[in-house]
Amino acid sequence: MTTSVKPMPTLIKYRRTFYAWRRKVKGFWLLYRSNKFGMIGLAILLIFIFISLFAPIIAPYGEWEYAIAPPFSPPSPEHLFGTDELGRDLFSLVVYGTRISLLIGFFAALLSAFMGGFIGIFSGYYGGIIDDILMRITDAFLVIPSIVLMIVLAAMLGTSINNIIIVIAITTWPGTARLVRSQVLSLKERPFIEFAKAVGAGDARIMFSHIFPNVLPLIFANMILGISGAILSEAGLSFLGLGDPHHTSWGLILHYASGHGAIAGGLWWYVVPPGICILLLVLAFIFIGYAMDEILNPKLRKR
Amino acid sequence: MGMKEYLIRRSVQLVVTFFILVTISFFLFRIMPGDPTAMLLLNPQLDPETRIMLKRKLGLDLPWHIQYFVFIKNLFSGEFGVSFYHGKPVIEVILGVRLLNTFTLVGSSTILAIIIGMILGCIAAWRRGKVVDLGSILFSLLFYSMPVFWLGMLLLLIFAVRMRMFPVSGTVTAGVYHANFFEYLKDYLWHMTLPATCLTLIQIGSNFLIMRNTLLDVLSEDYIVTAMAKGLNDRQILFKHAMRNAMLPMVTIIALQLAFIISGATLTETVFSWAGLGKLIADAVFERDYPLLQGIFIVTSILVLVANFLADIIYAYLDPRIRY
Repeated sequence: MTTSVKPMPTLIKYRRTFYAWRRKVKGFWLLYRSNKFGMIGLAILLIFIFISLFAPIIAPYGEWEYAIAPPFSPPSPEHLFGTDELGRDLFSLVVYGTRISLLIGFFAALLSAFMGGFIGIFSGYYGGIIDDILMRITDAFLVIPSIVLMIVLAAMLGTSINNIIIVIAITTWPGTARLVRSQVLSLKERPFIEFAKAVGAGDARIMFSHIFPNVLPLIFANMILGISGAILSEAGLSFLGLGDPHHTSWGLILHYASGHGAIAGGLWWYVVPPGICILLLVLAFIFIGYAMDEILNPKLRKR
Repeated sequence: MGMKEYLIRRSVQLVVTFFILVTISFFLFRIMPGDPTAMLLLNPQLDPETRIMLKRKLGLDLPWHIQYFVFIKNLFSGEFGVSFYHGKPVIEVILGVRLLNTFTLVGSSTILAIIIGMILGCIAAWRRGKVVDLGSILFSLLFYSMPVFWLGMLLLLIFAVRMRMFPVSGTVTAGVYHANFFEYLKDYLWHMTLPATCLTLIQIGSNFLIMRNTLLDVLSEDYIVTAMAKGLNDRQILFKHAMRNAMLPMVTIIALQLAFIISGATLTETVFSWAGLGKLIADAVFERDYPLLQGIFIVTSILVLVANFLADIIYAYLDPRIRY
């Protein structure tokens, strides 16, 4: 270094950021803890994460263990949810299904938030013709019924977990993009952006060092709500037979249930448990999302 | 900005979005692997002359930018090709009984859901924080988080299989001769009860939450305080002052929801084997009927696009503040 100012040792710098973040997280947690619905949602989510992590231990049978009991057996102490048309233990399948539903929900929402956030920041910051073009593309994606686009894409790309994640992300990013854009529009008029510009910061630096950290909470809260939508979308796609047939998900179990006459046969134990799991997990993310929304938007707190 | 300028600006946006939509579908169906027309050419039984002739007839020997213009031209003349499975022009398959079936199912359930959602939202907002409010929030969140097809399966299990009150599938009883129109209508409505209930229950949630939140906003406005100060009773304030203003944003929100409703209808129609557009698209996937898939894709998207445009115009007409 040629300057006379001694650079701050890296370790101290990192420690400072660490403490600053810890203070923020602690403050957030104190607010979050007082939200009853948020805590219920978090508890349900933790239970499902636990189930998915220890699936091989919790599930009494493997995902592909056939004919362990007669097909379509009703619930019994050995088989809590009965068995399917191949004589597989449905309880084990539901346990393994937790993994796929959580995985797809999380990564699809993450990818969608990333795409939406990026386009939103870009569109809002540059404005003008770039904004016009990007927003018309967003409009076009908003009016396409998502399941129709999903069906078309899934049918063309083929069925695998990666493709389902991509398909869900492609159909859900416009909402985030709109939201982030409107936030960026008001952010870029603030004095600190003007200051950064005056000091000579480039567009890329302003977007990623100054605007991005400020819209991150919004993107994050939106992503949590997005996970619930992604889980429902995955279930719908799998139900229509466009899911990954090699990995059991809750939607796939319901697909097999309807395909093998579980409804006409009145086999409620085949249909009810996977649906309840989807319902609970989606509800958990909605509760968490609303709780975070309330903390991040103080205006909503009154309600 | 006046109404005229707003109308022009919004129309330009509509046209641009329309062309982006068309471009998306062109690339989706022509450039991506699994091109419907190229599939036809892969048939090893075709001799070289037929192949060249077919290629020329389908316009696949042209450069892609010319193909794009041909695609747009065909779109405007309603030429979506011939359905592989049905052996009829795609436009005939779409614009027929199936569209009508979807229209009655989606229309009736959406109207019902709007009415119920608005009434519930009103009551909840008026009794904010009370048991009614929390109960309705929980009820709507419950149906909001439910997969629509699973709710359909439950309704079928309970009301069709266990209680035998309603039919399991279809739009009318197969093989039955209906003496007159009313007999037919009775049978049709009987078949529609479960799918319509399913689609209504799923939609109530979001309508309720939106109505409740807008009404809470409206209730904190000055003119409501004025109405209270004038000594009007609760019912007059709620119905004459608050609800009228809260209903405005609902117009655009319902149009925006149309895409979501069509998605829900696809799954509902599949569960109940209701012969509508949604069932048609699910079937088209398994029959690899690409022209039909493309046709439904374009028709449904344009429908939602136009509905959104109309809603914006109506909203701007009703509420002059929106024409910023």
